[in-house]
Amino acid sequence: MLVEVAAAQDRTAFAALFAFYAPRVKAFMLRFGMTAPVAEDLAQETMLLVWKKAAYFDPSKAGVSTWIFTIARNLRVDRLRRESRPLAAVDILDPSDEPEAPVSGEAVVLTIEREERVRRALALLPSDQATVVKLSFFGEKAQSEIASELGIPLGTVKSRVRLAFGRLREILDDLK
Amino acid sequence: MMANHHPSNETLRRFSDGTLKSGPRIVVAVHVGGCPHCAERVAEFEAIGGAALDEVAPVDMSDTAYEHLMARVDAWDGKADADTIAVPRRAELGIRLPEALDGCGVGPWRWIGPGVRWSKLEVPGDPQANLMLLKVAAGRKLPEHTHSGREYTQVLSGSFADERGRYRPGDMDEADSDVQHQPIVDATGECVCLAALEGHMRLRGFFGRMIQPLLGG
Ligand SMILES: [Zn+2]
Repeated sequence: MLVEVAAAQDRTAFAALFAFYAPRVKAFMLRFGMTAPVAEDLAQETMLLVWKKAAYFDPSKAGVSTWIFTIARNLRVDRLRRESRPLAAVDILDPSDEPEAPVSGEAVVLTIEREERVRRALALLPSDQATVVKLSFFGEKAQSEIASELGIPLGTVKSRVRLAFGRLREILDDLK
Repeated sequence: MMANHHPSNETLRRFSDGTLKSGPRIVVAVHVGGCPHCAERVAEFEAIGGAALDEVAPVDMSDTAYEHLMARVDAWDGKADADTIAVPRRAELGIRLPEALDGCGVGPWRWIGPGVRWSKLEVPGDPQANLMLLKVAAGRKLPEHTHSGREYTQVLSGSFADERGRYRPGDMDEADSDVQHQPIVDATGECVCLAALEGHMRLRGFFGRMIQPLLGG
């Protein structure tokens, strides 16, 4: 779908991407403790960059969800850094985004394999550990929310995060 | 050249999820840029982020969000927007700096002790980044010290050694507060490192004790 957006500036394909990802990026920002207007604004910025950078999307580096996750993450970090400054045109079409060489079929296969391996490993992880792993990608606030929900100290949540990632590492290595 | 000393898994995870502060993030970016092993780890962590994004419970955008976005798409001229942040001042240090430092201000070399010089690096938007370059003469031994916070040190040229091993170009030393070490720069030549300190703690680590008064901490 992203390939269609890039090739033909296909608005129908982009509308479908927007419908799926924008509300998820907004949720991602909210979990990081952003206010609703800021979360929505960052979701918009993320999707705008998806449009602008669609031609730079490199399937030998990441899957679509992973690529959009990294754009959203970078915008969030950037917003935090610039909070005290007048809002600059946050745009980062840096040269490193451009694929240096023609995308090789082999690299694409490796990426697809990695994405599948990670998702299989997450599925093999006991569900409470998989939840902890995914929530850890939504920052400290998400972790303190788990702590208060479960009535356990934040330190305990953090050690559960470490344990869960340790287990995930073992599964990932086994799957190689 | 394959690195022998790598960032911890926790550090690579925090690098990938965006929670590592800007100083350490830049040091880790330099390491990851030259280390295929860690680059693969980061790609895996980012793929977990992608999976997490797929599965998060979505929150509705406002009704006009898509229209507004497409209006901005229509207004876009197809070019990259210029970054409005001014390029900071960069002193000529006589060494080739890693690309990850491209947006940073670079201070001149300053003497902080026999055989030891440092250059303060400024990260745009983060005056507290505690990021610096260190240049230490061949054979120079540093006073034994402990850390009060985590330090990230990436070797750019030359080498040093302590009780935990030898650190060569491409290696990253991540030292926690419980590490006690006495690094000695190898006799073969001076050593240049990129280093960051986490948080605003008292600096006591690798050169930190000497730099503390200069940072005004
Ligand atoms: Zn490495």
